[in-house]
Amino acid sequence: MENILECQNLVKFFPGCLALNSVNLAVPKGKIVGLLGPNGSGKSTMIKLANGLITPTSGKILINGMEPGIETKKIVSYLPERTYLNDWMTVNNMIEFFCDFYTDFNKQKAYDMLQRLGVDPSLRLKTMSKGTKEKVQLILVMSREAELYLLDEPIGGVDPAARDYILDTIIGNYNENATIIISTHLISDVEKILDEVIFINKGNIVLASTVDDIREHENKSVDALFREVFKC
Amino acid sequence: MLRKLLKYEIKATSRIYLPMYALLIVFALINKFFIAVNADYLKIPMMIAMTVFVVIIVGICVMTLVVTIQRFNKNLLTDEGYLSFTLPVKVHTHVDAKMIVALLWSVLSAIVGVVSVFVMAINEDTIQKWSKFMSELIPAFNSLGAAGYVIVLEGIILVVVATLSAAVKIYAAITIGNMSSKHRLLVGLGAYLGFGVIEQIIVSIFGSSMSSRIEIYFRNLDTIASKAAGAETALLWLIVYTLIFGALYYFLTNWMLKKKLNLE
Repeated sequence: MENILECQNLVKFFPGCLALNSVNLAVPKGKIVGLLGPNGSGKSTMIKLANGLITPTSGKILINGMEPGIETKKIVSYLPERTYLNDWMTVNNMIEFFCDFYTDFNKQKAYDMLQRLGVDPSLRLKTMSKGTKEKVQLILVMSREAELYLLDEPIGGVDPAARDYILDTIIGNYNENATIIISTHLISDVEKILDEVIFINKGNIVLASTVDDIREHENKSVDALFREVFKC
Repeated sequence: MLRKLLKYEIKATSRIYLPMYALLIVFALINKFFIAVNADYLKIPMMIAMTVFVVIIVGICVMTLVVTIQRFNKNLLTDEGYLSFTLPVKVHTHVDAKMIVALLWSVLSAIVGVVSVFVMAINEDTIQKWSKFMSELIPAFNSLGAAGYVIVLEGIILVVVATLSAAVKIYAAITIGNMSSKHRLLVGLGAYLGFGVIEQIIVSIFGSSMSSRIEIYFRNLDTIASKAAGAETALLWLIVYTLIFGALYYFLTNWMLKKKLNLE
């Protein structure tokens, strides 16, 4: 099985809105992929479908050849666009929690990153700012040695300095066989780490290409191409 | 995985229940003190303490229900669901953990409630009355023979099954409510009432076809032994009834969470 993520005629219909319109897509292993599109284009919907948090209207989404279920959840590390941490726990509690449930969780890595970003692990999440919570959540997600990372807007709420560190940790921390899919509209920030890009608009895949191809054939950056394709 | 889920579920709920239990015991002791002193100038504080005690008891009852609803709804169907449903855990294990913990706290709340009343009321007079009551109850109980034990056992099973079934009925209603994108609370409430109506219809269809036989059966119970046997049968039917509907709600909840999940 070469593709870590596959969509086959994937349709998701919400009342009054077609979020994904018969999407066919294959993401190979070992790449860093940018899932790029304007707000409401279907990025989050696709990632939520891959996690089994919503069910497809029709078609299939396969992770490593399997439909979302207990086996895929073991190998997928997901960062949602919202905070899912319960307020009353401390960071230490959350690390224990992740250790208990995910066998691929690397505790040492988590503590290293927390120290680097200056987060005190004995603090309750209730007392933290939104940005700090996002950092903690990203650290938890990236401390797993997963096969597929699905990061939904991972850098949206953090300051630019932490943004660079986070992107460095993302590329520094994953092994060659792992795949990272980053959904974002902050393209210029992530562009330098991407191997491939998928442009998505109104539930349709507009473009799927490698970054090198874009630079070679279009002779422009991903950011510039994005602005051109999605010009309002 | 069930054990790990239970661990965190108990952790999350005990921080709500334990302080309430402690508060109840404290007020039981305060009341006990007032009763023991029984002085005229303490009448008003005594009345206040007693009122607070009753309010806490009512509070614990309400809280048990609210926490049962809240834990399921918040932990599985709101933002926290993004974590719960991405854990490598089977869907039914989540439901199992929630049900078991709801049962645990219901039973503990009942026990703590009873203990607190005992703490408050215990003195020489009440002990005497109690031992007199027991000395009459035990021979009566023994006269039933084995049937007495069967009835007690059935009673315990019924309480357990009924509590679990009540919890999972709420879960099924919440899950149905969650299918609606706009009126979650209203649809959930409607589903809960709907379940009640469906149960009523099924029971009355079943009951009316059997009513004459049931009547004859109970009319013929004239000896103590046959009355005990009647109670055994009645309890058994209640257990079967609760078990069947509980199982239906359980499968409905699991099926919907598995096949129809749509987190906002």
